[in-house]
Amino acid sequence: MRVSSSSSSSKDIARPPPSSLLKTLFVMSEIEHTLRLPPHLLNRPLNAAIKGELESLFLDKVIDKLGLCVSVYDILSIDGGFIFPGDGASTYTARFRLAMFRPYVGEVISARLKESTKDGLRLSLGFFDDIYVPIPLMPNPYHSEPDPEHKNGIRWVWEYMGENYPIDWMDEIRFRVHSVNYPPIPVEQGNDSEKKDSEEKDSRQKDLKPFVPMVIVGSLDADGLGPIAWWV
Amino acid sequence: MKILQSNAGVLTNCEVLELLKSRGAGKDPTRVIAAVAPSEFKVYDYLEQTVAFKQTIEIIHKFVEDCKKYDLANGEMLNVVNIRPSSAVEIDPIIQDCDSRMGDRIDEFLENVVQVLPPYPSQLESNEDTAEDKEETTDDQQTGVK
Repeated sequence: MRVSSSSSSSKDIARPPPSSLLKTLFVMSEIEHTLRLPPHLLNRPLNAAIKGELESLFLDKVIDKLGLCVSVYDILSIDGGFIFPGDGASTYTARFRLAMFRPYVGEVISARLKESTKDGLRLSLGFFDDIYVPIPLMPNPYHSEPDPEHKNGIRWVWEYMGENYPIDWMDEIRFRVHSVNYPPIPVEQGNDSEKKDSEEKDSRQKDLKPFVPMVIVGSLDADGLGPIAWWV
Repeated sequence: MKILQSNAGVLTNCEVLELLKSRGAGKDPTRVIAAVAPSEFKVYDYLEQTVAFKQTIEIIHKFVEDCKKYDLANGEMLNVVNIRPSSAVEIDPIIQDCDSRMGDRIDEFLENVVQVLPPYPSQLESNEDTAEDKEETTDDQQTGVK
């Protein structure tokens, strides 16, 4: 479904909006991909087999600049079916659309609190966990106190008009997307043989921090953002 | 892999939910039989907790029609559909320059939002009714889905 687009601002009435203005939480992307269909799937109807292969290739994976693939929306066309010499499987070129999770900068999203540490907050959507609210983007003014319920956790408290509003582990927190980053895949570096054993272990510990392909930085610093219970 | 169109259309939360429901996400309590992957189930769980759970395509069409006179950007309108703000303070972060662009019409706009878009069951008055409401609404949803 395409929403019929009205002008984005009163200045641009004559010009149709560029597609970059079409934005919301989930977007469709059209992709063409050549894939090999393993022979053990040959007894399945072609559409279902191709769809299954596409799902295992793209589902829950991040495509650079396009976002996180949530679902295969539909398959537009399937071409090919050629068998290359020496290969038992046939190769198809499929055009299809994927539903991508790609929030735009400035969008307001509801999420839940996942972690609250000295660096800020980490929010989660269930299917996507890498949403960070760093300290500069917390509601101003604030202070932090050690959390009595979680060890090593910090609880963040907003001060407004003399009242203290803590950010607790409660229901929904609304944040505004500040930026969406796709860090490049790290290249593995050789071990430094001059380090001592304990230092080597430390550096390996740091290297074990998992690589995150898509990071959203959120802001809570505006009216209406933060836990919904503050505003309702 | 070739990207033909990185932006081939927008999807409201409601449409993604409909897509997953059409594959059988809502009906399968075991979550094994339906043609829906575990990661898609996580998306379904998230969307179920939002107001999109009670929306339909017709409601969204109607809302878009009603909002044309407010001269909102596409993204802002869809954000309102996804979030369903019920007070002015909730609308403020969604619509840029809210005061200067909407001014007095904000109450009218809020009325529109609250009437056209159905609330999430937990936003209803008493807490005792929410359990019964949720059961009724899920029954309605299941009979409504073909």
